[in-house]
Amino acid sequence: MNYKSLAAGVLSLLWSAPWALAHHSLLAQFNADSAIELTGIIMDMDWINPHSYIYLDVADEDGNVVTWHLEALPTAMLRKAGLTKAMMIGDGQPVTVLIHTARNGNKTLGYILKITYADGHYYQLAEV
Amino acid sequence: MNNFRHAQAKASRGAGTLAAALWILLLHTTATAADDAVTPRASDGHPDLSGTWDNGAGIDFVKPVQIGASICVRGCAQNPQPSQRGDRPTYQPEFVASVKDLEERQVQEDTVLRCFAPGVPRIGPPDKIVQTPNEIIFLYDDYAGNFFRIVPVDGRPHRTDVEPGFLGDAIGWWEDDTLVVESINFNDQTWLTDDGSFHTTNLRVIERIRRDGETLEWLATAYDPEVLQEPWQLRPRIAHLTDQEIVEAPPCIERDLDQMVDDTHHDNVR
Repeated sequence: MNYKSLAAGVLSLLWSAPWALAHHSLLAQFNADSAIELTGIIMDMDWINPHSYIYLDVADEDGNVVTWHLEALPTAMLRKAGLTKAMMIGDGQPVTVLIHTARNGNKTLGYILKITYADGHYYQLAEV
Repeated sequence: MNNFRHAQAKASRGAGTLAAALWILLLHTTATAADDAVTPRASDGHPDLSGTWDNGAGIDFVKPVQIGASICVRGCAQNPQPSQRGDRPTYQPEFVASVKDLEERQVQEDTVLRCFAPGVPRIGPPDKIVQTPNEIIFLYDDYAGNFFRIVPVDGRPHRTDVEPGFLGDAIGWWEDDTLVVESINFNDQTWLTDDGSFHTTNLRVIERIRRDGETLEWLATAYDPEVLQEPWQLRPRIAHLTDQEIVEAPPCIERDLDQMVDDTHHDNVR
């Protein structure tokens, strides 16, 4: 894998979306009124309840790799959609992940709204 | 950027309209097929409730949509909207303040957030039913783990040799084609909902389950006259027969609570 190609993986602050608050259950943890987009490589996934976690390696402009811990839906919901751990991890190619950032100051913690894979297919897990 | 977003929104609306039309067509087709399905009968003549039942991952609004190779689990226009809050029990005046206090401290007090069994009726309809003439087994594939309930239907009384539990002790009987399940012997560590709706150990829950073809209707009423103003009847839940089998639940390992910066409510409806 080429982390240089993932330089500046944290792309941008995308939008403010107060309507996203309406059905979000994690307001005490995450900034649900805004989202950022990360580009990186999914290295692993904790297939656990009550929330699953994805580990995303993201490179900065200098090529330094930081692992983000990204919370996602419970496995029961993912399975209901036919999703498996292998499908979520993907094929090792870069993915783009839309996330809410953490409110507790942890700069590498987030909540996944949508994952878009290199071939264009995506899994949307929350309102965006 | 604005032009791009405008074009994106326009394209999205077009795709959304088409997808919504397809979704409605699919729902109509599914409903028609279900309406035509015959309700199977067990050898004793009662409806056979056996099967795996999709109740939306325990939350009846989780109905994923496949769009080509992509999947929208939640948050797309085609997904059903979450059930509105308001399906809540009414308490006697002297307990209203206690409920409010618990609700404000929900992230500290709701045992479901710490992977305890959600209790009855909060656990919702069973994910799988195995029916025999003498007893009916309810199986659950819940976020908090795999759970089971054994429902004798052969006239046995409630057990008196077990400690109060999260899911209580159940017995059942048939009223025409409806299975009626009575549960008692609960502990007081669970809530009826995710908003502080506590109950006592004298909670009694009646579930009424009826199969119509490939559809299962689940009704539940909670009785706790020590604290409730009146019996609380939950909104009906509808589950659909599915070939997606339940599996061993992954471990429930709570990691969220230490990340919370305040006591904002953490939805945990079922």
